[in-house]
Amino acid sequence: MILKEITKEQIIDILRTVIDPEIGINIVDLGLVYDVSISEQSIDITMTLTTPGCPMHGSITDWVQRIVSLTIPDRTVNVNLVWEPMWTPDKMSDEAKKQLGI
Amino acid sequence: MNLTTSIATAYSPPFRIVVKYFVAAIFSFVLLNFMLLINYQDINGHHFQPKILSITHIATLGFITMTIFGAMFQLVPVVLEVKLFSALLAELQFWIYLLGITGLVFKFWYFSSSLSFTLPAIFLNLAIFIFAFNIIASMTKVKIWNITGIYLASAIFWLVITAIAGLLLAINLDHPYIKIDHLQYLKLHANVAFIGWVTMVVMGVSFKLIPMFTLSHGYKLELAKWALGLINFGLLGINWIMHYPDTEFYILIFGTAIFIGLILYLIQIYIMFKKRIRKKLDIGLKFSAIALVMLGFSTLLGFSFLFFEYEYKPNLTLIYGFMIIVAYISTLIVGQMYKIVPFLIWYHKYSSKVGIENVPMLKDMFNENLAEYNLFLMLAGIITSVFAFLSQINLLLLSGFALLFLSSIIFSFNMYKIFRS
Repeated sequence: MILKEITKEQIIDILRTVIDPEIGINIVDLGLVYDVSISEQSIDITMTLTTPGCPMHGSITDWVQRIVSLTIPDRTVNVNLVWEPMWTPDKMSDEAKKQLGI
Repeated sequence: MNLTTSIATAYSPPFRIVVKYFVAAIFSFVLLNFMLLINYQDINGHHFQPKILSITHIATLGFITMTIFGAMFQLVPVVLEVKLFSALLAELQFWIYLLGITGLVFKFWYFSSSLSFTLPAIFLNLAIFIFAFNIIASMTKVKIWNITGIYLASAIFWLVITAIAGLLLAINLDHPYIKIDHLQYLKLHANVAFIGWVTMVVMGVSFKLIPMFTLSHGYKLELAKWALGLINFGLLGINWIMHYPDTEFYILIFGTAIFIGLILYLIQIYIMFKKRIRKKLDIGLKFSAIALVMLGFSTLLGFSFLFFEYEYKPNLTLIYGFMIIVAYISTLIVGQMYKIVPFLIWYHKYSSKVGIENVPMLKDMFNENLAEYNLFLMLAGIITSVFAFLSQINLLLLSGFALLFLSSIIFSFNMYKIFRS
């Protein structure tokens, strides 16, 4: 799919397909995606992981970048991994909390 | 981080190396349970017997340490954010190690055969030194140390001490030279192996993996730091004092330090479990939680040994060894294998397909119902065997070992299913 008019909501929906293979919850519902900004040249995604000092940057940023680039090939996709503000469980969506039995 | 992808990144060693260690470990686990079953009549009385020593080394070297080697090749690089120093050395180490295990297990079994104890012990030492060198060389590149890294570095130190003590014991069996009791040194070898090597690895890794698997959040790791200091202090003390006569008082001090360290660790883990967000424990974590309770029982039993002459109570050292090797460590490894192996295979086969095609969830890669039976049979086998040791009823021991063997078959079937998925 090539999107002409790209909205933040569309990117968020794309990111919902990145699912933690163990927990079975996507990164958006886990509350890991902090911001998405769209310009004519690029899409910048700011996100975190649940624990600081995590060595997984490589894999997760690759997945996010790949999945967004495949859907919107005419923009450069940048993924910024940040640790501030720190992730807390209350950042999860109600749906995610329900799935985890909170 | 909690996405399980975190344990495999650009730092990961070649997949085939880790898999090789895991396959050898799973094979050893089934073999170990099979040997227990067919030799149940020999698993009785004093622990210094050829068949018991042979089976113990299949368990400790073939299953437990083999698993830890594979897991550390996978985890050390990603947890400490360094590349493994040499994949080639990891490969070379595997074959030397395998040769050493085969030789030692054979020689213990056929105690009076012409093969020496020293030769396989040299192979094992060589393999362990290669491992220690490979990991330490990788660790020299670490920029930020975390508690897991410090635990793992301590564990490697104690692994080397275990190996050297094992070699000295092997030489002593070929050409007796140790002036004090051989069994004293054996005790040192075993304590350093189980507490310094295996348990230190378990502790360090659990601080990383348990929060990852349970989404535990909002706790401090103060007790973990105290546990590290106390256990290292206790083990160093025991290693030093063991060479002198009349040291009961010092043994009590150092033994108590280790005991408190282990209890603090268990409290730390309890806090982490209490703070978990994922309330429902999956099969891997059920195994792990039960294993840690077993560690608690083993710790209490071990502590009680500081206060009375346990060596000559029928089967008590066997129960202690069985609790540590089977009830605590094997249960923990089986549980963690249900977490780590699906992930390894998943990462290798499906990570590059995320976003391109549908990829399975980890829990779909094996039969969860069978895994529940695996847990039930293992637990039933452990409880039955402990009662059999206590009551000294042979038929009960046969039943216990049969349950354990059946459980190991289910486990290996599930692992096969994961590898083939």
